[in-house]
Amino acid sequence: MAKKRILLVDDEKSFTTLLKLNLEETGNYEVRVENWAEDAYGAAKEFKPDLVLLDIIMPRMPGGNVAAQIKEDPDLKDTPILFLTAAVRKQQIEDNEGIICDFPCLAKPATVEMLVEAIEKHARK
Amino acid sequence: MEPAVKILLVEDSPVDSRLLRLLLSECTSSHFEFTQVERLDDALKRLSEERFDVVLSDLTLPDSQGLETFQWLRAHVPDIPILVLSGLDDESLAIKAVREGAQDYLVKGRVDGQALSRAISYAIERHHAEQALHQSEKHFRYLLESITDYSYTVKLDNGLPVKTIHSPGSISVTGYTPADYEAAPDLWYRMVYESDRAAVEQQVELVLAGETPPPLEHRLLHKSGAVRWVRNTVVPSRDRQGRVIAYDGLITDVTKQKLAEEKLVTSEAFYHSLVENLPQNILRKDLNERFTFANQRFCATLGKSLEEVIGKTDFNFFPPALAEKYQRDDRYVIRTGQTFEAVEANVAPNGAKTYVNVIKTPIYDPKGGIIGIQGIFWDITERKRFEEKLQRANEELARSEAALRKSHEDLKSAQLQLIQAEKMESIGTLAAGVAHEVKNPLAILMMGVNYLTKKFPPGDENLGLVLKEMKEAIGRADSITMGLLDFSAARQLSVKPHDLSNLIEGTLQLVRHEVGQKRINLVKHWGEHLPLVGVDKTQIQQVFVNLFLNAIHATPAEGTITIRTFAKQLTETSHFEGSRRAAPFWVGDRAVVAEVEDTGAGIPEEHLARIYDPFFTTKPTGVGTGLGLPVSKKIIELHGGSIDIKNMQAGGVRVTIMLKAQREQT
Repeated sequence: MAKKRILLVDDEKSFTTLLKLNLEETGNYEVRVENWAEDAYGAAKEFKPDLVLLDIIMPRMPGGNVAAQIKEDPDLKDTPILFLTAAVRKQQIEDNEGIICDFPCLAKPATVEMLVEAIEKHARK
Repeated sequence: MEPAVKILLVEDSPVDSRLLRLLLSECTSSHFEFTQVERLDDALKRLSEERFDVVLSDLTLPDSQGLETFQWLRAHVPDIPILVLSGLDDESLAIKAVREGAQDYLVKGRVDGQALSRAISYAIERHHAEQALHQSEKHFRYLLESITDYSYTVKLDNGLPVKTIHSPGSISVTGYTPADYEAAPDLWYRMVYESDRAAVEQQVELVLAGETPPPLEHRLLHKSGAVRWVRNTVVPSRDRQGRVIAYDGLITDVTKQKLAEEKLVTSEAFYHSLVENLPQNILRKDLNERFTFANQRFCATLGKSLEEVIGKTDFNFFPPALAEKYQRDDRYVIRTGQTFEAVEANVAPNGAKTYVNVIKTPIYDPKGGIIGIQGIFWDITERKRFEEKLQRANEELARSEAALRKSHEDLKSAQLQLIQAEKMESIGTLAAGVAHEVKNPLAILMMGVNYLTKKFPPGDENLGLVLKEMKEAIGRADSITMGLLDFSAARQLSVKPHDLSNLIEGTLQLVRHEVGQKRINLVKHWGEHLPLVGVDKTQIQQVFVNLFLNAIHATPAEGTITIRTFAKQLTETSHFEGSRRAAPFWVGDRAVVAEVEDTGAGIPEEHLARIYDPFFTTKPTGVGTGLGLPVSKKIIELHGGSIDIKNMQAGGVRVTIMLKAQREQT
């Protein structure tokens, strides 16, 4: 089975490094990291991910805009996006049945298990 | 033999003194005893110490010269005869001394023993005679002064006074001697006080007409100019034919009586004026309650004359109940001898209320027995009315002061609440920022721990433990930041109608474990037919979870937690329920109230003000985050409700949550 391609966009370099390590450790994922939101769209076009893990609050460009860029691109519009943010509380996400601003969402800090579960649920099969 | 004549000889010349002694020793008729001094001061000293019969003194002494020597001696011993010794050359000086009271003077060298002896004896005798005279004079004057009467006779010729004969008593009364009157036939008339002369003349006319007029009291002028009061009694005296040939009069000095009388009259007038002119009502009663006196004012009050008042009782003038009260007060004074004082309220016939101040005191007879009472009373209606007005004003003032104080207190507490709300706002904003910034590092730590957990094989027990502890610590930090975000988030409520009792019942399931662990007795009073409340179910449940956990922590094992719900119609507005945004309740609003009571120790007084402060907690680290109550308060306020936490008098804490009832659908 081919590894799932995950595009990870987050301004926290340490977080992306560790999450990439964890995900790749499972042996099921190929992870590309972008620490600058404005690079995310280009990377997505190039990488063609099965899922974008997208932070919301980032310098220069919020995650919502990145999501919009991707959704506006005809080639990429079907790419699943999963928000991973510290700006939203778990309770809020639960109350909204996992959907924030039309996208599924995970609250930081999330355990690897929770992440894997969410990725498996939302990534392109 | 006669006792020796003691002589003090004051002489500084030894020759002269020896001569004198020699001369006197020749004399056989008397025996002389000499004491000699040479100076005046010695003489004065001896005279103070010893009694002498006579002093023989030279005028020229070492410490005193001339007449002065005699004057000193004279002043020192006025009752001892002094003989002055003089030389030929100063005889005139000696004569002067005699004029001033020296008994005699002797010119030295001119007298023989016999003459000298005689001079001394005479001097002593003369002096004694003078003393006796002086005494009798004093005696006589005393007697004279005590005479207050004298008689006189006026001889008539042809019906006209021609001669007056006055008895010697006139001297004492008028200062004039009988001779004075004889010398001046009109003196008796001239001495009469001018304005009294007419009366005297009238009396004389009557007596001349052969009548015996009544005694006349009039004034006359004493020779000294003093005014004397006399009583003049006259009777005609007739000859055999019955013609009035003279009249006799008796003058009695009545000045003293007259003065006393005048004083009495003045004092009488004084008290009369006091009693009758003061605006007070004054009265007296005897032991039988009969009026014995009423002043004009009291008569006017009663509308009666004094004659109509005297001998009557209060029952003649007042309604029976009032009269009975007055007499009761009188009897109190008579029985106890105490002063009675009271303010009495009366209703005038026109219905107006009047007030009088009354003072009653006992009247004593000279032996100290009570023989009645005297009373004084006066109208104080004006004063009373003023006092009442003043009191009303005071009460009004006190009321407005209380109101003012209350509004001040309200303002103060409002201000405190505003400050608190303001504080919460800024803490909320801060918390949101901090929470976000903390969450990212927490996410990194979580990733790190996850990775390590995978990389290290199980079996290393310590490593596993370390990673587990780290994971838990991250979880705790996460829940704190989450609480902070709960507190700060201005979130959307998803409001739906709920039954508060059901909602709370459901919440109790979430703390079932803790309740069971402490074997806590739950007492539930669910209100019947409660109106629904519009609330966000999860959030209100979060509030009650917090409240229950607090109650469970506070309550000792096997304690009781009581939960109560009921509906309430508000009777007062509740502004300032903690936040500027909190919707106040208004009078008439319907509310659903939930109360949670524990049986714990209560909240220490000093903590009460801080219970809504974020991170304020008394629980051990890890047990409480210090965010439960602040978050609960926030949630309740977002619902437009109120939360109130109080220590109960019986102990324990009562939390009262009040939420607006939904308007019933009609």
